[in-house]
Amino acid sequence: MGTPPPANFEALEAQARTLLAVFIAAGHEAVAPPIIQPAGIFLNVLGESLRGRTYVFTDLNGEELCLRPDLTVPTCRLYLDRYASADEQAHYCYNGPAFRYQPVGADAAHPREFRQAGIETFGVADREEAEAQTFTLMLTALRQAGLRNWKLRIGDLGLFDAVLNAAEMPERWRRRLRHQFWRAEAFRTELKRLTTNPARSAAALPRTLVAALNPADRPGAEALVADYLDSAGMEVFGVRSVAEITDGVLAIAADAKAEPLKEATAAMIESYLSVKTRAHQASSRVQELMGKAEPGIAAALEAFERRSALLEESGIVMSEVPFSGEFGRNVAYYTGFVFEVLAPTLGPGSPVAGGGRYDGLLKAVGAPRDVPAVGGAIHTERLLAAVREDAR
Amino acid sequence: MSTPLRFAVPSKGRLMKQTAEFLAKAGLKLRKVGHDRGYRGEIEGLDGVEVAFVSASEIVAELNGGRAHLGVTGEDLVRENISNASERVVFLKALGFGRADVVVAVPRCWIDVNEVADLEATAATFRREHGRPVRVATKYVNLTRRFFSGKGVTEYRIVESLGATEGTPAAGTADIIVDITTTGATLAANGLRVLEDGIILRSQANLVASKVAAWPPETHKARDALLGRLGIAAKAL
Repeated sequence: MGTPPPANFEALEAQARTLLAVFIAAGHEAVAPPIIQPAGIFLNVLGESLRGRTYVFTDLNGEELCLRPDLTVPTCRLYLDRYASADEQAHYCYNGPAFRYQPVGADAAHPREFRQAGIETFGVADREEAEAQTFTLMLTALRQAGLRNWKLRIGDLGLFDAVLNAAEMPERWRRRLRHQFWRAEAFRTELKRLTTNPARSAAALPRTLVAALNPADRPGAEALVADYLDSAGMEVFGVRSVAEITDGVLAIAADAKAEPLKEATAAMIESYLSVKTRAHQASSRVQELMGKAEPGIAAALEAFERRSALLEESGIVMSEVPFSGEFGRNVAYYTGFVFEVLAPTLGPGSPVAGGGRYDGLLKAVGAPRDVPAVGGAIHTERLLAAVREDAR
Repeated sequence: MSTPLRFAVPSKGRLMKQTAEFLAKAGLKLRKVGHDRGYRGEIEGLDGVEVAFVSASEIVAELNGGRAHLGVTGEDLVRENISNASERVVFLKALGFGRADVVVAVPRCWIDVNEVADLEATAATFRREHGRPVRVATKYVNLTRRFFSGKGVTEYRIVESLGATEGTPAAGTADIIVDITTTGATLAANGLRVLEDGIILRSQANLVASKVAAWPPETHKARDALLGRLGIAAKAL
């Protein structure tokens, strides 16, 4: 763990030049966003879990900073520095260090400091085209760097979203499920709760209060909640107002009165997530499960098929690429197509490269609205190890 | 020269007194060596054991760094300060004192937040109304993060608080807290309530061994002698 031996320096530099040359030739401008980044933006985007894998520190001015854990968010910030209204197309590439906390004793495939080379494409409205180009360009670069043996895997959060939208349930339940997509266990717990006992938290509230609330009468509900707080001697302090607390209580009341999620609906969602097939059969499998009647699903499948066709045209044999319904790359900012490139010697926990679509990230970083964005990055130390393994 | 067993003991307060009492029950007398205000000591009649009086939180660092072989410290401090505790230390015995629960507490008036999962349910509204996520004041940054992550709660920001944490929601510097409590009286006095599933850890003082310290045979022997006197079965390190 730690820094790689010095013998790697020249090899990594040469490899980086190769990768960047491929990216630049494809029209990506090379950029070098700052290594030290404000921690707040990362914490807002990636959540507090970031602290568990990032070097966050406070400088002498008391400002909370971090060593960038990847180059995607810094590249988003660079783009917004140039185009605050986020209405231009941009194609960037980079190669530089990123830092992730690793517990003592982590293996060589998980160094705390590593170099990432990658590309990001912002503002291209033709999503499938941009995704196919990104994936293809990543593979071209890997091949140019000497990688011969690899395995691919893909997923599609857009398809998951369509499945969720087709499932009959209140929007607030959908939000909660979507939120837990990357946490399989929490997702299953939530799904089970919704099918068995969706009445979250209601037991803690007096039944008379829950029964008396009328969602159509907001002011009345607020008065009831205020009376209750008053009579129970609960002082209202802090930034949350009685109106906000009432909103929460109304949601609890709605859940308490709601019919549980249908078993069949939950089963449909679960069966989508357990789909594991070759990419060329994914679309027909999902159609079998869901039916094409739902317009959202039809559109998502159409996008999937179009992207697959574009990838096939550029030489990727889709019948050899595994697709998994639950695959989302463990990074909660992805919103659509995701991919990973694995080297046989490094195992599924240490992908050589990965990427995908993240249309919500630029807005989270400060853009006035969602911006189409897709990118991919290569873990260059792993790539070098895999290339050397290939050559043996 | 032989390597003595370095035994780190809390250097002040109740924890120090209770540790001495615990040892005394086994007939072991803790004694300072040299100056009365010094930080070195020994156990009467036990050769090869060197006692270091260290603050409870420093003891964790000593064990994690392999500078102490054994130590008495709170489980909360070990879990907070060592991310992979089971690989670095072994809990030999819970000592029955220094009890404190690490809990998530919210203002009592948040009647719509009773379980940890409710925090996530209110998060979207909170962010819309206040333009920021819920602030959690705590000195247990890592315990908090791991606990919330296990419960699927992600919409929050930690504000480090090194004292008077219970007062931060009323003062407005935080919205909720993660802190230790024994009776809950301080929480109640500050208008706070523990969430139903909000107990992160029931902590108490533990006798802890370092897995990463050097353990030559003579140190092993000193350990076995000490644990033998305390009636504790030695666990594999």
